[in-house]
Amino acid sequence: MFVAIVPAYNEEKTIGSVVRNLFSHVDRVIVVDDGSSDATASLAEAAGALVLRHKLNRGQGASLETGHEYARSINADYVLHFDADSQFSVDDIAPALTKLKQKNADILFGSRFLDQRSDIPWFKRYILLPFGRVFNWLWGAPLLSDAHNGFRLLNKRALHAIHLTQDRMAHATEIPVQVKQYGLSYIEFPVQVMYREYGQGLKGAGKIVYDLFIHKGIK
Amino acid sequence: MVILFQLLFILFALFAILGVVKRKQEGLLSIRGMLFWVLFWAMTSVIVLYPETTSMLASRFGIGRGVDLVVYVSIAVIFYVLFRLHVKVEKINRDVTAVVRKNTLDASKK
Repeated sequence: MFVAIVPAYNEEKTIGSVVRNLFSHVDRVIVVDDGSSDATASLAEAAGALVLRHKLNRGQGASLETGHEYARSINADYVLHFDADSQFSVDDIAPALTKLKQKNADILFGSRFLDQRSDIPWFKRYILLPFGRVFNWLWGAPLLSDAHNGFRLLNKRALHAIHLTQDRMAHATEIPVQVKQYGLSYIEFPVQVMYREYGQGLKGAGKIVYDLFIHKGIK
Repeated sequence: MVILFQLLFILFALFAILGVVKRKQEGLLSIRGMLFWVLFWAMTSVIVLYPETTSMLASRFGIGRGVDLVVYVSIAVIFYVLFRLHVKVEKINRDVTAVVRKNTLDASKK
């Protein structure tokens, strides 16, 4: 069974179409509504998704882990991480899954830098993401071409090995770190990112670094 | 001669120690915690009453003035306490997430 996990927080404008488009590529769509105050949950449900509702907003990492736990319970074979703001293209899903199977890898990381389709803002392309890339590597992750890309495919082994403890955006560093830690095999795959909004900026990057350091203090 | 500041500080320290003992009696503080805070307020009282003790200590660490030693140590302690507090808040955050997740997954089974 191929399951898409879509973490969503106040995404009523896009969630319906994202869910409908996903259904032609995956068997099940799980939307983790992260305490939205708008109509995200009802629109996702109307589009046919199974909606898991967080009563409080806990962050994207927490939502993904809730989705993981559900996916483990239904014995999913493959899991797709997909953003709710329609910045990814569903056309990348099938070739990515084929590549993951072909290469017999445990996890596939989407990358904006392996082709020319994504129009990445200058600051992100030349400053933020290269910094993130090196930072992740220093933090114990493999050196990926794209430091923080929300498009990922996990096979069953990766799904059962990886457990996210980073509730917010630092999960994007935690995942590759755990991949290395548990000896999982990985590949990168070109995906298109269509910028609807700027997303993580300098402040977000600072928060990620802070979260990673603070978590070092937690047993 | 005891100046007004010293008198006020000692009163404040006594008040704080009383508060610490009360917290211990209410079960909100461990013995270790109580000893730490009683010792802390006792030491600060000694320093306020006999400021020259810090100068003696400071010279042993190669620091010119006793008051500088107090400032350096205070900053280090404050940073450490802040870090511990942030870690504690994160730990509570993690626990909240675990509860929210359990609640979410239990609701999905109904």
